[in-house]
Amino acid sequence: MMILPAVGGLALFQLFPFGRAFADSLMRFNPFTQAPNGFAGLSNYAEIANDPSFWTSVANTAIYGIGILGLELPLALGLALLLNQAVAGTALARTAVIASLAASEAVISLLWFMIYDKENGLFNGALGLIGLGPMDLLTDGSQAKAVLILMAVWKDIGLPTLIFLAGLQSIPQEYYEAASLDGAGKWSVFRHITLPGLRKSILLATFMVTVAATRFFTPIILMTQGGPNHETSNLMYYSYEEGFLLNSYGTGSAAVIAMVALLAVVTAIQIYALRERD
Amino acid sequence: MKNHEKRTQPIPAVDRRSVLKAAAALGAFAAFTPMIGACSSGGSPTAAGTVSRGPGPGGYKIDLGGYQGPELRTEAITIRVMRQSYTDPVNKLVTGMYDRFSAAYPNIKIQEELVPYGDLQQKMQVYVSSGKAPDLMMGRSDFAPAYKAASSTLPMREYFTDSYWQDIAPTLLDSVTFDGQTYAMPWEHLAMNMIINKDLFKLAGVALPPETSDPQKGWTVQEWLKAFKDLRAGFDAQGRRDLWPLAASVFGNGGPGSNYGQLESLWIRMMGDPQADKSTSAYKTFAGISDDGLTSTGYVDTPEAIEGMRNYQRLFQERLTPIGSVPDQMVSSTAAVSFAGPNQAGIWLSGAKPSFDWGVSPLPRGATILTCNASDSMVVWAGSPNPSETAALLGYLNNDANRIEFHKAWGSLPVRNSVIEQIPELRDSTALALAVNMGKISAAAPKTPGWFEYFNTMNPIVKDIALGADPDSALKDAARKVDGQLKKYA
Repeated sequence: MMILPAVGGLALFQLFPFGRAFADSLMRFNPFTQAPNGFAGLSNYAEIANDPSFWTSVANTAIYGIGILGLELPLALGLALLLNQAVAGTALARTAVIASLAASEAVISLLWFMIYDKENGLFNGALGLIGLGPMDLLTDGSQAKAVLILMAVWKDIGLPTLIFLAGLQSIPQEYYEAASLDGAGKWSVFRHITLPGLRKSILLATFMVTVAATRFFTPIILMTQGGPNHETSNLMYYSYEEGFLLNSYGTGSAAVIAMVALLAVVTAIQIYALRERD
Repeated sequence: MKNHEKRTQPIPAVDRRSVLKAAAALGAFAAFTPMIGACSSGGSPTAAGTVSRGPGPGGYKIDLGGYQGPELRTEAITIRVMRQSYTDPVNKLVTGMYDRFSAAYPNIKIQEELVPYGDLQQKMQVYVSSGKAPDLMMGRSDFAPAYKAASSTLPMREYFTDSYWQDIAPTLLDSVTFDGQTYAMPWEHLAMNMIINKDLFKLAGVALPPETSDPQKGWTVQEWLKAFKDLRAGFDAQGRRDLWPLAASVFGNGGPGSNYGQLESLWIRMMGDPQADKSTSAYKTFAGISDDGLTSTGYVDTPEAIEGMRNYQRLFQERLTPIGSVPDQMVSSTAAVSFAGPNQAGIWLSGAKPSFDWGVSPLPRGATILTCNASDSMVVWAGSPNPSETAALLGYLNNDANRIEFHKAWGSLPVRNSVIEQIPELRDSTALALAVNMGKISAAAPKTPGWFEYFNTMNPIVKDIALGADPDSALKDAARKVDGQLKKYA
């Protein structure tokens, strides 16, 4: 009975939407009313599998995941190590890093949209000052993916930093004192005390960042609308496009299920890779 | 002893795992419930039957325009309205109209929701799907085939007099009428022109386009492209990279691919010819869709359409217009020309003059001159519990006095000829007379129940072309995608 409220919440906000999305992925829909009008079997899955844009979105979901994880976790760890030092100004710096978490994703996206603008943006303006030509930051597929990843890292780095900070402060000081008495170097202390001590924090931060990278959506819809030619679309945007722009709830739901399946596989691999070893 | 016995007996299976399983089963049951009986689920609201007649124009407490439906009920009623947000003075003007309506009918309260223009159609669709849509919504005439096919909007023919309907511009009325029923009430008539900043033409040393109220006497598309190139060269020669020959689109959410129906489709369809034989690609290019509204291949990817999109692409590749969305370039005098509805000229003529000398010229002419009359149109939700009161409110908002007041504040072209005749500047000003004449030759958007998908598929493809995609392959890809989407309406 004690866990019933939590279970109720889980059923209502997690299991029900997931079950509904799965059910919808097997249905045909009236494009006008969005009411289900027949069982479609696996035809929605077959349809998205035959759509090249779907596979571009799958690949981009992976690219965003790898790019954001690969940049954000090491940077967050570095920041956490710096902010864990008892020196003047760290309290202010901690607040600044974490403050970006509180900012509205839509507002941040519009702000970066202006920064990246080819004609009037700050970024290209700065390039112009050193004699470099303007770059198509949001209109070239490869550049747009890169700048979206940079923006996401800047916006979301606060959370893993916070997790690592908490992890660092839970490592007993005695370990460091003992290592110091034994004459251990900084790298050796980091590798043999700090990193193992942060294992659970790394696991948690990896999950959180992976989920956030997979759900990456607001900057895409506000800055590139998935373009050019779907080159910045991911599975989240693809499912939105199918469901809400093209009135195809069935294929949109099938894309959501594909995204959850992909996330489950990635998470399982991460759990296995970061498991506790004897 | 008994208590001890109870404690030592195993508790039957109410552990965390079983609770989670039960919750999962509950969630799954709830989720899959819609599948049960899905085939019987229609979901569309019922359309109104025969409308009982009231006293007709002049017989109600206030001027309800051409409304001829029953007298309004006296019980407390709330009418929900969803529309785009205008400027503050225009918003106040509209809410003032509500206040006057409620003063005459104190039992009727009006609740309003303002939505960004580019989000109106999607918001409307979500509302209709939810089964709790506002009574009165701002839709668009180009979506009328979808409203009709979905039975989502109230057929309004019988709520208004025949003479009222006949007063509306025929091409516009035709775009919202199917089988004798009318599914949307045009709110304004989009008839575009090219608005020009004469000071910037002079600055660049480029000859001005013809200022005329005759749509056929403007420049061809090639003449416009040459003028844009000359303007670019003139601005660059003076180191004015901040100035642009053509302003970024302010339609929809701005930038390229912002509003295919009202703007970008012109580049394609002007290359076609509505007078050509139906089997020719010239005719199909203008039509944009097959007669049954289900095929775009052979219509949006013709040689003429590809040529039209190559012209469009030059605007971006030759730095004739910004690649992104830049607001208010015309007002801020950083662009020499802009595609604009008549409201811009109307506002400037009404006294809010810009800081530069301005004029208007007809749209670029390809094989034909075209303005698409995809216009803002009000619809009454078919599921509205207050259809007569909502139609009456619509009639009130559209009465002569309110339409003239709205024109003076917002500047857009009224849809009824009798109202146009009461506004002298629509005859006397070249700028507005051109809009009136463009309205007379305007054409509807391609008629298909899948216009929402057509529109949303074409927008990003047009943007891709602006960014450099090959128009030939992009349009063929677009046609394939649109046809794929339209299959569900077969």
